[in-house]
Amino acid sequence: MIKITDLEKFYRTDEVQTIAINKLSFEVKEGEFVSVMGPSGCGKSTLLNILGLLDDPDGGSYIFNGIEVAGFNERKRANLRKHNIGFVFQSFNLIDELSVFENVELPLIYTGVKPAERKERVHEVLEKMQIMHRRKHFPQQLSGGQQQRVAVARAVVNNPKLILADEPTGNLDSSNGNEVMDLLTELNAAGTTIIMVTHSEHDAKYSHRIIRMLDGQKVTENILAEYQH
Amino acid sequence: MLKNYIKIAWRNIWKNKAFSVINIGGLAVGMASAILILIWIENELSYDRFHENGKNIYKLYNRDTFDGENWAWGNTPKILGKTIKEDYPEVSHVARVDPNEDLWLKVGNKKFKTTGIITDVDFLQMFSFPLYDSDESSILKDPSGIVITQKLAKKLFDDNDAMGQTIQVEQSHVYKVAGILKDLPNNTRFNFDFILPWNYMKVNGWDDSYWGNNSVQTFVQLKPHVSQVDFDKHIKEITINHTKESAHPSSTEVFSWPLEKLWLYSKSENGKLVAGKIITVRLFSVIAIFILLIACINFMNLSTARSEKRAKEVGIRKVVGAQKRNLILQFTGESILITFFAGILALLLVFSFLNPFNQLVNKSLHIDYTNFTFWLLIIGFILFTGLLAGCYPAFYLSSFQPAKVLKGKISSIKDIIMPRKILVVSQFTFAILLITCTIIINRQINYAQQRDTGYVKENLIYTILDDNIRSNYLSIKNELLQSNAVVAVTKTLSPITEQYSDSWGFSWNGSTEADHDTGFTIMSADTDFTKSTGTKIIAGRDIDINTYPSDSTAILLNETAVEKMRLKNPIGAIVSDSNTNWKVVGVIQDFIIQSPYEPIQPMMICGPSRWFGVMHMKLNSKNSISENLATAEKIFKKFNQDYPFEYHFVDEKYANKFESEKRTASLSALFAGLTIFISCLGLFGLATYMVHSRIQEIGIRKVLGANIAQLVTLLSSNFLQLVLISFFIASPIAWYAMSRWLNNYTYNIGVEWWVFALVGIVIIFITLLTVSSQAIKAALSNPVKNIKTE
Repeated sequence: MIKITDLEKFYRTDEVQTIAINKLSFEVKEGEFVSVMGPSGCGKSTLLNILGLLDDPDGGSYIFNGIEVAGFNERKRANLRKHNIGFVFQSFNLIDELSVFENVELPLIYTGVKPAERKERVHEVLEKMQIMHRRKHFPQQLSGGQQQRVAVARAVVNNPKLILADEPTGNLDSSNGNEVMDLLTELNAAGTTIIMVTHSEHDAKYSHRIIRMLDGQKVTENILAEYQH
Repeated sequence: MLKNYIKIAWRNIWKNKAFSVINIGGLAVGMASAILILIWIENELSYDRFHENGKNIYKLYNRDTFDGENWAWGNTPKILGKTIKEDYPEVSHVARVDPNEDLWLKVGNKKFKTTGIITDVDFLQMFSFPLYDSDESSILKDPSGIVITQKLAKKLFDDNDAMGQTIQVEQSHVYKVAGILKDLPNNTRFNFDFILPWNYMKVNGWDDSYWGNNSVQTFVQLKPHVSQVDFDKHIKEITINHTKESAHPSSTEVFSWPLEKLWLYSKSENGKLVAGKIITVRLFSVIAIFILLIACINFMNLSTARSEKRAKEVGIRKVVGAQKRNLILQFTGESILITFFAGILALLLVFSFLNPFNQLVNKSLHIDYTNFTFWLLIIGFILFTGLLAGCYPAFYLSSFQPAKVLKGKISSIKDIIMPRKILVVSQFTFAILLITCTIIINRQINYAQQRDTGYVKENLIYTILDDNIRSNYLSIKNELLQSNAVVAVTKTLSPITEQYSDSWGFSWNGSTEADHDTGFTIMSADTDFTKSTGTKIIAGRDIDINTYPSDSTAILLNETAVEKMRLKNPIGAIVSDSNTNWKVVGVIQDFIIQSPYEPIQPMMICGPSRWFGVMHMKLNSKNSISENLATAEKIFKKFNQDYPFEYHFVDEKYANKFESEKRTASLSALFAGLTIFISCLGLFGLATYMVHSRIQEIGIRKVLGANIAQLVTLLSSNFLQLVLISFFIASPIAWYAMSRWLNNYTYNIGVEWWVFALVGIVIIFITLLTVSSQAIKAALSNPVKNIKTE
């Protein structure tokens, strides 16, 4: 599903150029659950941004579902993203001015889904995430765990092929964290590919494979579970 | 999607109430100002554009050279219109107009003075002043028929049918109402409540065939397909040709000027008609645009200053699939929604302030709220303002990179600091420009007001001589003097505040051919002119027809005239015109009769051989004014019992000379105030956000030992720098603009440096006042809390 080859990303300031991703190559198959680990500043989040088409690579190739997307412009990236990719962030990133229902509904609005169908799909996913009773609440009225469940609901409401999770349990206590990881595992079991950036060895154990990075490069790769294609 | 946009826009407005109040309030004030100015501009541009034949109607003008200067003027001889009507086939209609005649009208017990015109039968066929129920082609043909407006009909006849009723005009003329006009619209240069036929001129002996008596306005309607250029060629020498055989051949040329240009482009300059009122219209168009821009700049500044708060939302929306255009649409929609609320508030402001504004601009502007076009224009205006204010924030906010902003890496302050600085500088440049101009205009008015007029305005009143007063003048004068209410009385040609007549073609001992072109302001007096007016004789004596019967042809010269005529011994000199040899009996100190901004012109005050139109009375200062007036009224009533005693205070009339400049000054002050208000509103908002975004820095500085004064200086200095830059940009522009404006006045105050210094100090004070409250609040806050918060 994803194949990156010699991927590069630099950050430049007036005087210094920093290499965030350095000739990185790997492949992720459809239905896989991959964790990316490494110390702060190793390029994990940059990698996730590129994979999520939020950022451009400076070199190398990125093939998504058989299409080279490295040179896509913003409009094409947005189109591809909204139909195929869901995001879950450490800090939840819900819009404070929108209710739970409206936050989850947002991706459906941008993909042009009709209001009646939107309502049905949002209710369905909220039920699944067991947050239906909070649908009229605003983010600041929810606990961290509930907010992250809403964020997961928003990530999956469009039935994406890929979910990118950036430290999804980073802001949660262990009980809420485990709940979120169970949710992601369930989604993966249902066929969604997941790539998760994490510092937590505990969370990484939920995945099939761990890619460990240092200074923008892959250093090791551990297979934890047999991935059944 | 639209519902979602509106929902989030509304929630944002509601959540950030202070921001919304500043934005909506600022925009509303800006929009209301712009709407008021636009209504005024629309009225100015529509003057006399409603006449069906307007495109073919022209006013005739004279052009000649006097004293080496070219002049163009719009008063023409009565014979001109008559001749054109008879001899020029390219003309379909001609109307001579004697404008603004204030005449007494009487019906039963009702009598009052009101303004009318005396004109030819073609007038109502040329101009579209609709009648109720009469045939306009014949209406002024009846020599005893008067046409009145609805307003006058109501005033004279209440709700009774006015048609066919009789009205007494002045003392001895009776006219029958031959037509009723709808009231004149507020966009015509004509100002009358009644129209009298040309016959009124004849019966009063005012009609004449003298090519040198320029006393009426002449309008012509050219036949279709006749060009103005051809017509002008044909009439150019009409006066020259008709006077070349006479004793006084004229060199005056005639030309036409389109009716549609008359209101805005009829300032006479060097013998040509050039842009006049249109300059004011352009000036206020610029002011309207700038005020609106300043309000929009506030919106832009506050919206971009709040970008940190919106950045996360932009990032999330992009992550879940929003494209840049979706976000541009959303943010533009938000600004249109805010502008919509501001628009409603602006309309309420316009509705509330239209009357005071009318007083300020001396107009009767009104809004037809039932007019569909008006609402269409308002919606268009709101959309335009919303787009103007919203486009920059929309493009700016929608350009955020989600990967950065979701990590909290928004460098908003640095990224947009330059455009925001430019916007603040633009706002304050305009505000400083307006304040400086307001001060200089006011200084110029005060300067001219304080100029010595050369006469004593206090306790001096005048009344217009009508037939009864004229025939009983001596008796009235004697009784007034005996009553002790009045200490001196004089008859004159015109009020001392107005010039009715000027003349040239005089000769005297030692005069040259060139002196023939020297123009003189003409005044007349019978006796006690200096005693009544407080003017001073500096050589010889005053005119006194009672003591010296030969004074009917005596004249007084003013100092400027003596100098211009190079008279070493003026007393006793003979000054001749075509009919009379005038003997100089005195020299009078210069006094202002025309513009207080211009140098005094040569003047002749002629004895009773000249006509008298006005009676001046110096009230006794020992009594109260009301006592004096009550006594005078009784005396006037005794001799003129049918009509009320109507008088004017000279000091009030003199003050009217400054009306136009005062209006400009008031408007300028109003808009300067509004500009400052809107700009400060924006500055306050910006200061609030600036303090918020630097709260951690303030905390750290405080922990490291900064005191409150240092912190306030630090926070205020940024804004102060911007305002100082604005000051240095605005000052030279104001200096240049005001120097040019003051050049219009020979007697001017000049541009003084201290005005700029004063504006600088005031603007710094206002800036500090606006910004420092937020800065002090931040400086006093608990640093531990602030550092923690971050």
